Amino acid sequence: MMAKVELTRHPLIKNALKSRYPQLAVFVVMLVGYIFAILAGLIGTPVGSHNFSIVFVWIAWWAILILVAVPFFGRGWCAVCPIPLPGEWLQRGAVLSPPDKRPKWLNLRVPKMFRNIWLQNISFLLLALFSSVLLTTPNITGIVLAVMLFAAIGLSTIFERRAFCRYLCPVGGFIGLYSQTAPIELRIKDKQVCVKCEGKPCYNGSAAGYGCPWDVFPGGLTKNTYCGLCMECIRTCPHDNIAVNLRPFSADVAKPSTRMDEAFKAFIMLGSAMIYAGVLLGPWGTLKDAAYGVGTGAWFIYAVVFLAIIFGILPGFFSLGLLKTKSAIPFKQRFASLSTALIPLGLMFWVAFSLSFVLTNASYILAALSDPLGLGWNLFGTANVAWQPMLTTILAPAQTLALVVGLIWSAQTAQKSASEAGVSPLPIIFYSFVATSIMLWLLL
Amino acid sequence: MRRAELLSRILIIIGIILAVGAPLYFWKSTPIIHAQMADDGGWSPDVIQAEVGKPLHLKFTSDDVVHGFAVGQMDMQSVDILPGKVTDVTLNFDKPGIYTFFCTRWCGLNHWRMRGTIEVSGSPSDPEPVSPPLYVSLDLDIDAPHESSLVPIIQPSAVSGQQFATNLPLDQSTDYYRSHSPYEVFEDLQTTSLTDGQRWDVVAYLWRSNTTKESLENGKQLYAQNCAACHGENGAGDGVFADDLAQAGEASMQSMSGAMDMMMQTPVDFSDPKRMLGASPALLQGKILRGGMGTGMPMWGSIFTEEQIWDLIAYLYSFQFEYEK
Amino acid sequence: MNPRFSLLLFVMAGLVVAFAPLPVPAIAPQEQTFEIDARQFAYSPSELKVNQGDTVIIRLVSADVVHGLYMDGYDVSVEADPGQSATLTFIANKPGSFRFRCNLTCGAMHPFMIGKMTVGSNNWLYRSIGLAALVVVGVTTSLKQKA
Repeated sequence: MMAKVELTRHPLIKNALKSRYPQLAVFVVMLVGYIFAILAGLIGTPVGSHNFSIVFVWIAWWAILILVAVPFFGRGWCAVCPIPLPGEWLQRGAVLSPPDKRPKWLNLRVPKMFRNIWLQNISFLLLALFSSVLLTTPNITGIVLAVMLFAAIGLSTIFERRAFCRYLCPVGGFIGLYSQTAPIELRIKDKQVCVKCEGKPCYNGSAAGYGCPWDVFPGGLTKNTYCGLCMECIRTCPHDNIAVNLRPFSADVAKPSTRMDEAFKAFIMLGSAMIYAGVLLGPWGTLKDAAYGVGTGAWFIYAVVFLAIIFGILPGFFSLGLLKTKSAIPFKQRFASLSTALIPLGLMFWVAFSLSFVLTNASYILAALSDPLGLGWNLFGTANVAWQPMLTTILAPAQTLALVVGLIWSAQTAQKSASEAGVSPLPIIFYSFVATSIMLWLLL
Repeated sequence: MRRAELLSRILIIIGIILAVGAPLYFWKSTPIIHAQMADDGGWSPDVIQAEVGKPLHLKFTSDDVVHGFAVGQMDMQSVDILPGKVTDVTLNFDKPGIYTFFCTRWCGLNHWRMRGTIEVSGSPSDPEPVSPPLYVSLDLDIDAPHESSLVPIIQPSAVSGQQFATNLPLDQSTDYYRSHSPYEVFEDLQTTSLTDGQRWDVVAYLWRSNTTKESLENGKQLYAQNCAACHGENGAGDGVFADDLAQAGEASMQSMSGAMDMMMQTPVDFSDPKRMLGASPALLQGKILRGGMGTGMPMWGSIFTEEQIWDLIAYLYSFQFEYEK
Repeated sequence: MNPRFSLLLFVMAGLVVAFAPLPVPAIAPQEQTFEIDARQFAYSPSELKVNQGDTVIIRLVSADVVHGLYMDGYDVSVEADPGQSATLTFIANKPGSFRFRCNLTCGAMHPFMIGKMTVGSNNWLYRSIGLAALVVVGVTTSLKQKA
């Protein structure tokens, strides 16, 4: 087993992360790109495959997110995401270090009832139910991007910290869950140092920086789930007690969570990957019509079936497997902690599914770069690059590899959580095997 | 405020202004004609102004499916208009007037309704005498039924007909051909000693001799691009839109109490000898020029030149007559 | 059993499941013709089955707008306007499952206008499920061993 390697031990890395300038440079590029994507969606060509917003959000960004950022950097995307920035700058009254006088916003604490990821589960499902329209229609994507931006700004003027990111963002919900498997983490070095620390500026802020925008107490961080890698705590900690480490994959799922909101997130992601694979990549036209016809009777049935799979069928069969095993631990706890096995499984389901449409449609990226609005530009000479699926021979083997690795990973995770719960992991492993076989059949 | 903070704020604000302003500016300042399926709006804009002698530069894009662009009655190659891409077209007009432009790639049931106009202004040249189409000067009621009382037993052959025709005093003039239906010519031949089958063969030969191989080829292409979608690739009235048209007719029958024969209906079957052999080229020209008045048959008067229509008509009869062999 | 040896054994078994050549049933290649109706956004029929070596003739009939048909894996395609059906002919020499998709933007759901052709038997799917089953067997045995 690989041990932890502290990346911030290297001065180059530590200074790059601590300094606000490199981060700001990335932020500006991201924010400008994001706003451009909104405009492109709203006024550019309505043809998705030739509009910057569709191509760069649902093909380019999605590919980087699910194939690179999440598996290897956990919440790495959150570290550079532009959505919270305008609201946060307003909240802070500054773009760089804390000013002497900060503007008085409401800074309310998010009510306890919402301090979980249920809102994120719901926001993801809402988008998922009209995803066929969202993924293919530029002005809808533009509107959704704009709504998220303005929701984040609005929430920042009412609540403290990054309320949108932590409690509402549909992407953050699953990035957080899957970040538990990533080989990167931000943790304190020595717990005793934190115990003796006065004022806890990592959480409360100081002259050097702001308190954790993710409403996390860095001193108590044991999992990646809610840390957005914004590096604020590295700037405020007066004892240099915070590090960014390289670590083995899925270190966090060894300490399974017993929260129901996270458990259901796992089912939501597993189920939607399977449903998307069937509806979008399958040969069944009626399903596609139903998914696309938002508001029609067929779509309503589709939505009900979608939700039934996610909230009924998948957790139902999972529970059946659990019920067969007897344990001292209450059922709800077993359910939640064993559902951690579905985290690496779900991640690989999404990787396998995404590989298909990304490799098929990546050639659109070149055309959209040269003519982002469909106005007839040719900025980089690539506007007339023809559509051509890429790397088609490796697609099927890559999908099999991803899904088989996911199954192995899920089995290992099941073993660890099951032994802690004192039950047999076999029903869960069998469940994962059946789900994997279905996914293989849907994709291959 | 620290210098770095000020500079950063300025950078961010400039970035945001560019991200919003640049797309808006270029979008507003690039006039593009948008092509959409007819039910979603067709051409926007659909009226263009132009001047005689001044080149007209147009930019087109499609907002949904593959479309095409051509101007009626002008000798030009049609250009494809692809979704999300921009096509540049330059047109030159020598004569003022109202030109019709139209979509040239089938884009749904109402593809033929996707038309617009180019209003070309300029000093009018000597007005050309406008002659009425043949069916008007012949006073033909093109909506009246025109069933042929007799039909051939086997498909008439132009090649066979040629042998018999050489000994006959046959009026092979264009005027005779255009103003008579095949059945009428068959009737006119009853003074000869030929059998029915032989007479039909002569009719076929007469039809063939009034056209050329190039015209038939041209007609075939025109048919494939403009008619086959409704009338069927083999002329049997079973094109991909035939069912939709019939259904539209049934649907409108419930709400309209007017003339049933002007309802949307299944496209004509050109392989039906009863209907085709009773129709003269002039009648067919009338139908094509004027359209079906609510039956779903488009009017092509502003789109095809006269030559194109005669070529097309010559091809239509090839569903009835064997021209080769 | 030495755990390292078991792991090696399972990896070998995995390689066999994934790559061991399977006998190809000797079916004489024939000509198979399909008339495929294309409309926004599905093909009909959307699932084709042929034998390896068959000459596949696909007549694409577009029923509403201009559509295309591109065959994954074979990189061949055809396009058809309504009223102008077109034919694609190729020899299905590669076995397995191949998706065919529309390659001319035909509306919003164009990227998901997909059908599936199976040449011979979809062996890769069975091998993949076999690998998944092998994983389960492997994990179960190692658990039993630890117990």
